[in-house]
Amino acid sequence: MANRTIPRLLQTPAVLLLLVWMLVPLGMTLFFSFIRYVLNNLRRPEWTSPSIENWRGFGNYKFVWNQDGFWLAIQNSLLIVCSILFLTVILGVLIAVLVNRSFPGRGIVRVLLISPFFVMPAVNAVLWINMILDPVLGLQGIAVGGINEVIAGLRNAPLIGGFFSLWPELNPISFRATQTSAYAVIMMVTWQWTPFAVLIFMTSLQSEDQQQKEAAILDGAGRWSQFRFLTLPHLGRPIAIVVMIQAIFHLSLYAEIEIVSRGNGNKNLPYFIGELANNNIGAASATGIFAVILANIVAIFLLRMVGKTLME
Amino acid sequence: MAIVAETTKFSKFAWPILAWGVALIFFFPIFWMVLTSFKTDADAVKPEFLLWFTPTLENYANMTDNYDYWRFATNSIITSVSATLLTLIVGVPCAYAMAFDPSRGTKDILMWMLSTKMLPAAAVLYPMIFLAKGLGIYDTHFLVIMVLCLINLPIVIWMLFTYFKDIPKDIIEAGKMDGLNTWGEVREILIPLAWGGIASTALLAFIFCWNEAYWTVRLTTIDAATLSKLIEGNRAPEGLFFGRLSAVSTAAVGPIVILGWFCQKQLVQGLTFGAVK
Repeated sequence: MANRTIPRLLQTPAVLLLLVWMLVPLGMTLFFSFIRYVLNNLRRPEWTSPSIENWRGFGNYKFVWNQDGFWLAIQNSLLIVCSILFLTVILGVLIAVLVNRSFPGRGIVRVLLISPFFVMPAVNAVLWINMILDPVLGLQGIAVGGINEVIAGLRNAPLIGGFFSLWPELNPISFRATQTSAYAVIMMVTWQWTPFAVLIFMTSLQSEDQQQKEAAILDGAGRWSQFRFLTLPHLGRPIAIVVMIQAIFHLSLYAEIEIVSRGNGNKNLPYFIGELANNNIGAASATGIFAVILANIVAIFLLRMVGKTLME
Repeated sequence: MAIVAETTKFSKFAWPILAWGVALIFFFPIFWMVLTSFKTDADAVKPEFLLWFTPTLENYANMTDNYDYWRFATNSIITSVSATLLTLIVGVPCAYAMAFDPSRGTKDILMWMLSTKMLPAAAVLYPMIFLAKGLGIYDTHFLVIMVLCLINLPIVIWMLFTYFKDIPKDIIEAGKMDGLNTWGEVREILIPLAWGGIASTALLAFIFCWNEAYWTVRLTTIDAATLSKLIEGNRAPEGLFFGRLSAVSTAAVGPIVILGWFCQKQLVQGLTFGAVK
């Protein structure tokens, strides 16, 4: 028994730290979610400090559940997460297959491709929303302006001018607007996370069974059927893992939402919680518990999947 | 056979061009940021200076005046380096014990550690602010270092565990025979053998700390504010300061992107918890 003491002792600091980190704040959130707790209330000053006497039961949960903002936030969270997942997986598979061959400069191509993943989220958002997507001064504005000028020039041209005069003037899109801000977030996060998917799929492709592939070629399998019946099934597991890891990361997107439009039109669950936490801590905590439940649904699947390979 | 030959010819030229095209498209925003950082603020928004302009270093020279860059950068360096070291100090012994003396509970402990990573940060935002203010550590390096350490600890332990697992146990046993104690084993056998793994884990942890944007923004105001906070604070320049904003952004992400190039492979292991090889 004595020789088990040292390994236990070595694990203790890490386990204790994580235990405290997990239990204390989450326990507090759970407690706050059942009491009336607001930061400013002149009429009811007793609600401004957390106390068991302000017990509200499931009142905060009901309050949040009946808010349109809560459902809109869930809807936005899902829209943003699902779109990003869809785009990154498809782009990731295509690009991974593309770069998995040997060609001149493959090393540099890989380095260029992975770079966006290391850009800090705040810079990613500032860069995209200003320098690239701005409807007037960004590249989008400049490009639209340029196209309009060319079309205006062509209108005066003989013969084809009549055709081009039918063309409408293009309008740049403002990505800070309510209708479009979610798409700006999807675009910038897809740009950042596609490299991650590519990297993982590429790693997985390198362990693909080459003999099987050669046999398939000898049997006359075309490129498409090789991809469809050998490569895609081989990528099944990595795809599942990429989906779940990204789901966990993107369910808590915050910086991009804040920078693009301060939650206008793209308010997701974390942002909604952040806004509630400016005053109504009880409701913010109840929403937080809902977010934990949502994340857990995803997490269970991931843990199952990872757990299988753990001790191999 | 003719068809095969044709495909090879096609792929010989089209394939690399396509691959290079995609890579350049993905890299373009970064290139554009770096390019814009060498333009003056006035030139940066003029279409006529899109690609041809007189490069200037004034944005970099004025970074301290414009944004107080070095104060934020210093905070980023202090917190990221300390958090990385702290994470390793706590993580290496833990992963070592798990890899070489696994018990029945080890797998469950590892899974549980991973599950702490899945706790949405927003759910515990207010309790963290409440605790930090109550303990008087709000907006201090100590708080940021602790939080960065805690959010990276599960990934670091997982990465180290997958590395250590690959070291043959016989070597450790041989060390025991030679009379080494636990510390001796770690120092004489584990660290020399797993040096590469530990280094790349550290590098990745450092990158994650540097890029962290939720807690570092929410738990600081001025004293411990990192580069994430600086950039977020200047989110809406309304097109007036593209040049200087690009310069400060380039300075904030440049070193990290370059560091990232060196740990691509470890990234796969670290982020998929060894499930993709």
